[in-house]
Amino acid sequence: MKWRTTCKETTELASRALDEHLGFGERLAMRMHLMICTNCTRFVQQINDMRRMLRMDATDEAGPGLSEPARRRIETELQNKLDQ
Amino acid sequence: MNMLDAHTWLADHGDYLFRVARRQLHSDELAEDAVQDTLLAALSARERYAGDASPRTWLVGILKHKIVDIIRKRVREVELPRDEDGEEAVDALFKQDGHWAEPLQAWGNPHKSAELGQLRRALDECADRLKPVMAQVFSLREVGGMETEEICKELGITPTNCWVLLHRARLFMRQCLELNGFSGAGG
Repeated sequence: MKWRTTCKETTELASRALDEHLGFGERLAMRMHLMICTNCTRFVQQINDMRRMLRMDATDEAGPGLSEPARRRIETELQNKLDQ
Repeated sequence: MNMLDAHTWLADHGDYLFRVARRQLHSDELAEDAVQDTLLAALSARERYAGDASPRTWLVGILKHKIVDIIRKRVREVELPRDEDGEEAVDALFKQDGHWAEPLQAWGNPHKSAELGQLRRALDECADRLKPVMAQVFSLREVGGMETEEICKELGITPTNCWVLLHRARLFMRQCLELNGFSGAGG
């Protein structure tokens, strides 16, 4: 791992950090870059915010549910299975 | 268990299951399939439902597996975006020397509830616009919280491919939000 990373490389590290543990050198390189780069700092914050917001359970909020045709189709499939 | 239960599940939890599935599958049709598969599987397994979890929790547990099954099938049918696809779009975000081409704008304040709601709707819309498979891998990870390693294994894609998809999805999602007006003061 190089000590000086570009923004493009830093976004790759930041993204991978959300999926797995980075090596010591990688973490250090990322931190050093973030100390001097507002854009990448913002990127890291935004991909973390994105995850937090996407994982909030919004499913109870009103939103489109099953369409009537889909509901009827599933109803029929269930009945067929029950009749077997 | 009462034979009527299967119909009650559909009436009581159908919409909820659909919304959960819709956010990870990004398609009404696939989400409907997931609900149907879930209820049919629940019907076959109803003797094993011990009743210690609420029916909804039990059904959502089954749904998670059905969502992965459907995405696995899609991965086989739809060709995975090749590495070169998308590479150009990623390169366009950066200058030759690897610095950002454009400064990144701050989003509105996600801690203010009015803006949070807007941001979350915009996120769901942007995720719908990602390429097929990329959208679904992204949502398995970021919405469903499934581990990356497990996603690769379940879908039969290489860790590198998986990771590239996730990284590009995050870059595109961020850009999509910015293009949709979540930039500058007040969002």
